[in-house]
Amino acid sequence: MSDGFRLGLFTTIVRPEEKAILAAAEARGIPVQRLDDGEVTFGLERPEGLPDVVLNRSVSHTRALYAALCFDHYGVPSVNGAQVLELAGDKVRTSLRLSARGIPTPRTVVALSPEAALRAVASIGYPAVLKPAVGSWGRLMAKVDGPDAAEQIVEHKSALGSAIHSVYYVQEFVPKPDRDLRVLVVGDEAVGAMYRRSTAWRTNAARGATVEPAPLGPELRELALRAAEAVGGGVLAVDLMEAPRGLVVHEVNPTPEFKALGSATGLDLAGAIVDYAVGVGRR
Amino acid sequence: MTECPECAASVENHDKVLGEVFPCPDCGTELEVEAVDPFAVQPAPREAEDWGE
Repeated sequence: MSDGFRLGLFTTIVRPEEKAILAAAEARGIPVQRLDDGEVTFGLERPEGLPDVVLNRSVSHTRALYAALCFDHYGVPSVNGAQVLELAGDKVRTSLRLSARGIPTPRTVVALSPEAALRAVASIGYPAVLKPAVGSWGRLMAKVDGPDAAEQIVEHKSALGSAIHSVYYVQEFVPKPDRDLRVLVVGDEAVGAMYRRSTAWRTNAARGATVEPAPLGPELRELALRAAEAVGGGVLAVDLMEAPRGLVVHEVNPTPEFKALGSATGLDLAGAIVDYAVGVGRR
Repeated sequence: MTECPECAASVENHDKVLGEVFPCPDCGTELEVEAVDPFAVQPAPREAEDWGE
């Protein structure tokens, strides 16, 4: 490809995923313009030398979002775009959107003070799960087994002091098998699915869950595509649980890691993501 | 080749790219490639509260 098209790669750090993206772009002859999220500055006027599309792989939700807003302002599309990051980067907004679209999701109550949080946990019933509204990898999530634990966990969260921990996102604890499901959606396609298996209640691959490919049946495919579309679509990892009442979507991740899914399925996910981003840039 | 800033072990550049994060083979400290040529590393940034997928 020698028409001057450039793919911007906006990163905090380079993990196996970003390295695979660089390799996939090189294999396709697509020049990559690296953009470090700790180095770039954004003025109000459109600067020279911008890429044609930005693949936003910043691991910082804040940096990813503000950068996407600025790239939008310059007329450079991002994958994912700012609106998608706003929705999918925040569990409260994601839940509201999933609910509005009638997509099955765990029972959820949001509270904005420690006192209300205790009432929210009690209304969900025990065990409940308390999650930060922003963040992932299972970090600072707590399973609340009873009222005493609720008081202690809410007290600890309020002691953390940051604004985001003053939003209490309480969810039912879904009795599921020792696994959950992840589907990677790229544009209009559900490209791969895996089980994440763990005897612990958190089944994040970052927490050592083992992974294996999962069949992408019609129900799973349709639900994943609907969940991705609900937050605006793009490159999204949809996490689902097998609840007694059926599949429920509990997260839609806008900057997905895909090394584990690639290993489990043997799919060229970086290639699919690069192809999609290039397509967005050429629209 | 360069040195780990934590333990001074030799660290080699095996096809690493700018910004790549990898553990020091000796002490396990997470390192980040600061420059490819000449090869230089620094401690990787620490995970922040809003980091995630």
